[in-house]
This record gives sequence, structure tokens and C-alpha cells, in this order.
Amino acid sequence: MNRALTLLSFGAVLAFASAPLLASGDVANGKTKAASCVACHGADGNAVDPQYPRLAGQYNEYIQQALHEYKDGRRNNPIMKGFAATLSDQDIEDVAAYFSGMPTKLDTLKGHVQGD
Amino acid sequence: MSRLQLLGLASIAAFLVVGNAYATGDKANGRKLVYTCNGCHGIPGTSNAYPQYPVPKIAGQNEQFIISALHEYQSGDRTHPTMMAQAQSLSDQNIEDIAAYLSSITPIK
Repeated sequence: MNRALTLLSFGAVLAFASAPLLASGDVANGKTKAASCVACHGADGNAVDPQYPRLAGQYNEYIQQALHEYKDGRRNNPIMKGFAATLSDQDIEDVAAYFSGMPTKLDTLKGHVQGD
Repeated sequence: MSRLQLLGLASIAAFLVVGNAYATGDKANGRKLVYTCNGCHGIPGTSNAYPQYPVPKIAGQNEQFIISALHEYQSGDRTHPTMMAQAQSLSDQNIEDIAAYLSSITPIK
């Protein structure tokens, strides 16, 4: 019984921890919140300085994931930690919706590896 | 060859060496090395589990950023388990080669 309860609570924790990232952000609010991002990441989401990543057309949920990781320290980057700290969960969804919807220069590796 | 010409050649050589400090990657070797990456990064929309999010698009990404990201997985400044393991297997030169190739890609329309 105890064991079953323990297992169940582990399951519950896991379910919360893995709450899915949803692609339901508000693009207009994202644009407002992205005002400080564009200094490095470019107004069109394609950073000119090659030390910064292109965000335009990156997957929505991946951008959300990266921002959460900068915010909670799973990614340790002093610049992005500061910016991510100012964003709420809703802001993160909105910013991700904004950048992911831009015309992209990014691609998956499909068709780009040896033998393709 | 005159002394002046030699001096000129030497300074051109020096310029080339310095100028290449951020672009020493070998694209052709990079193209071979990314074979491993293709398992996840080559499948559009492929997801990680817990938490679930799509594996990022890395083709066409900026060169220096790719180099930084891979070094951060090596050092633990980024903590994704699969990527930490993958990055451990790469030398500095491997990383530059991969970045040179990935950043040179334009999307297939």
C-alpha cells in the first residue's frame, strides 16, 4: 500500500514536471516583450553577430524551453539569465510565438548530411 | 625576391592567420561529423520527453553560437543529458568543423 502510494506520488510529480509546453502564445504581446531581444537577435530574428543565435522560425516550444532553462539555471548564461528573469510564463509563450512565426533561415538536418 | 616583397608576403600571411581565428572549421569534415546529430536533429518536429519540446533546428544557425553552445554542454553550463554526452565526444576542432558546416547551410524549400 505504502509502496503504491509512493509510486503514485512519483507519477504525479512527473506529470506536473512534464506539463507540456503549449504553442498558444500571443504574437502581438510577444512583439512588445521582444523589444529588448532584437538588439542582439535582430529585428527579423536573424542575429547579425554570429555569437548570437538566429531565433526566426525556430520551433516555438524549443524557444520556450530554452527561456525556462535560462530562467531556472539549467542553462548558465549571465546575459540570458538576466533577460529571462524578467519574463513570466505567459511572456515566454508570447515571445516564443513571435519569433517562431518569422520567416526562417533555419532548417533541420534532413537532406543536409553525408549520403543524403 | 626583394626584401619589400618578402615583407608584404609575410604580412599577408600574418593577416590570413589572424583573420581566420574564428573560421578555422572544415566544412567537409563537419558534414561527416553531423551524421550523428541527424538521428534527432534531422527529423522535423521530433520531440524530447520530460519535458516535451521539439529538438531545435540547427542547420543555418550562426557559427560562433554553435561553438559556444557545444562548449557549454561540455562544461555543464548547459545540462541536457544527451547533448552533454554528445559534446563530450567532440574535440575543439570537431566543434569548429560542425559549426562551419551547419552555419553554411541554407534551408531546403
